[in-house]
Amino acid sequence: MNRDEIIGGIAIFLFGMATALLSLGMPIGTFRMAGTGFFPLCLGILLMVLSVLFLSKLFFQGKKVSVKREFVERHGSIKQLTFFFGTMVLVTLFFNRLGYPLTSLLLMVALLRILGIKRWGLNILISVVTAVGSYFLFVKWLDIPMPKGWIGL
Amino acid sequence: MFESLQQLATGFTIASTVQNLLYCLIGCIVGTLIGVLPGLGPIAGIALLIPATFSLNPTSAIIMLAGIYYGAMYGGSTTSILLNVPGETASVITCIDGYQMAQKGRAGPALAIVAIGSFIAGTIGIFGLVFLAPPLAEAALAFGPPEYFSLMVFGFVVLSNVTGKSFLKSLMMAIVGLIIGTIGLDPVTGDARFTFGSIYLLGGIEFVAVAIGVFGIGEVLVNVNQPSELLDQGVLMPRLRELYPSFQDLKKSIGAILRGAVSGFGIGLIPGPAPVIATYTSYMIERRVSKHPEEFGKGAIEGVAGPESANNSACQAAFIPLFVLGIPFGPVTAIFLGALLIHGVSPGPLMISQHPGLFWGVIASMYIGNFILLILNLPLVPLFANILRIPKRILLPLVILFCMTGMYTVNNSVFDIWMMLLFGAMGFLMRKWAYEGAPLLLALVLGPKLEVAFRQSLMISHGNFEVFISRPISIIFLLATVIFLVFPAVRLIFKKSKKGGG
Repeated sequence: MNRDEIIGGIAIFLFGMATALLSLGMPIGTFRMAGTGFFPLCLGILLMVLSVLFLSKLFFQGKKVSVKREFVERHGSIKQLTFFFGTMVLVTLFFNRLGYPLTSLLLMVALLRILGIKRWGLNILISVVTAVGSYFLFVKWLDIPMPKGWIGL
Repeated sequence: MFESLQQLATGFTIASTVQNLLYCLIGCIVGTLIGVLPGLGPIAGIALLIPATFSLNPTSAIIMLAGIYYGAMYGGSTTSILLNVPGETASVITCIDGYQMAQKGRAGPALAIVAIGSFIAGTIGIFGLVFLAPPLAEAALAFGPPEYFSLMVFGFVVLSNVTGKSFLKSLMMAIVGLIIGTIGLDPVTGDARFTFGSIYLLGGIEFVAVAIGVFGIGEVLVNVNQPSELLDQGVLMPRLRELYPSFQDLKKSIGAILRGAVSGFGIGLIPGPAPVIATYTSYMIERRVSKHPEEFGKGAIEGVAGPESANNSACQAAFIPLFVLGIPFGPVTAIFLGALLIHGVSPGPLMISQHPGLFWGVIASMYIGNFILLILNLPLVPLFANILRIPKRILLPLVILFCMTGMYTVNNSVFDIWMMLLFGAMGFLMRKWAYEGAPLLLALVLGPKLEVAFRQSLMISHGNFEVFISRPISIIFLLATVIFLVFPAVRLIFKKSKKGGG
């Protein structure tokens, strides 16, 4: 059996169960006048039933794995992925404080570096051009109010 | 009919003035640029630019806004094909085969067929709009909550069946999308659901956050997780002559375009997010009629041509209820209603007689707008296709920056960026576990409408479920759903018994 398939099936079952349990805390009502929790409760139960069906199918299939393993087999750098996603989280955290132009510049510098653009000259050039270009496009041309941050731009 | 043609000719005279042609051109260019930026779809684009039309006369203003609408719809397809980022809901289906085509070095033909298909569908849509508007608008009124519910159930089953390799997995994703769609205020009672005390969640989960997250960010993360040497491998780049569709491509697409245009027009008259339903219905039809259904999901050009034509056609048909009845059936037409009211025009049965110049002028401008988009976008195909020449090490951070910026611009809220990141992580896991994103996204959009239709149906019938099978249109959709579910199994059993017998 495919481990990823089982984890996915269990995660969906748990999501369905959490939905159903939380729905029970809301008014369910009657068929004639359904309450707030009625529809999500039905959906939660349906999802649990479907995920159990899915897991049973996997169990009975045994070693006959149907999912394409291509993606799983081409594992790359978890470290690179963690740094990449972590940078996005960090930048979002300081988005309002740093302001749009500075955030976009720092985001580009960091992500390019993580993805292997090691030459600082090229990295800075691409980042500055992109940050300035997007600033003029969104802030100046489309007139969208972006966070100014401490630099006040 | 003759009178309609005469009126249409007058409309063309109005729309072809230098001033109106200029506004139509500006609208198409601005719309395309807005559509290409992730997050800024037609709704945001039109809403942002309504103030710019205040100084114009009503006809020119609506002509320009209609141009922005078409342009944004086209631009949304461009990002779907090139980057797997749907610009708006109606482009989700285009991601499936359009992105696969781009990965195989066929971004050019995909982009070109969108422009050609949209133009042909637009032409058919205009004639439909002129001749069929009043009777079709009346027919659309026959759709009550039970019919709408049955139609959407049919849509979910069809979509789950045509996307991905596992029907069960796609159906589960549709249910997950429906559950996510219940977050926020209950559409009937107004009570908060699954908001956990957050005021940001009261309005529900922003569709754009899920779309960009699951498709755009998810795809980028999958690429980042690849071994370093794979990041240096670009997608297959086409030679110049391969940038446009071959004769074979056009031959394959023409049937899909015509079918998409006709089905899209019919669906466009139904209340709700018609372009979304139209695209997946068209995709389902194309996969069913194709001699090579196994190619769908791997870069079949019919999977791009049909839905994109249906999308364009449905967008035009959606103007019928707005103009003829004064009722907007979707968010975009609702914004148009607002724009018309700002300019002192009240759409409704009297609009044609009270403002004939505006009505026929706008209809004629839609055709001109489609033509402008065709001649504007075909030469731009090589430019757009060449975006893929940018090395992934540079392209991926650029996509992230534009996704984050686009996401912020929707509501000027950092919370939306957090949601986008959350759904990005989810999109990555979905790819890892081989789950499809399209059913989730479409269920998220249709979910609240499905729930309202379901609950209203039961209210009408005093809790009696027979309401779904006692009304002719509703029972037709439910029977079609059952046939759709049972037919593949019956065919399999029939084939097996035939083999056994032979």
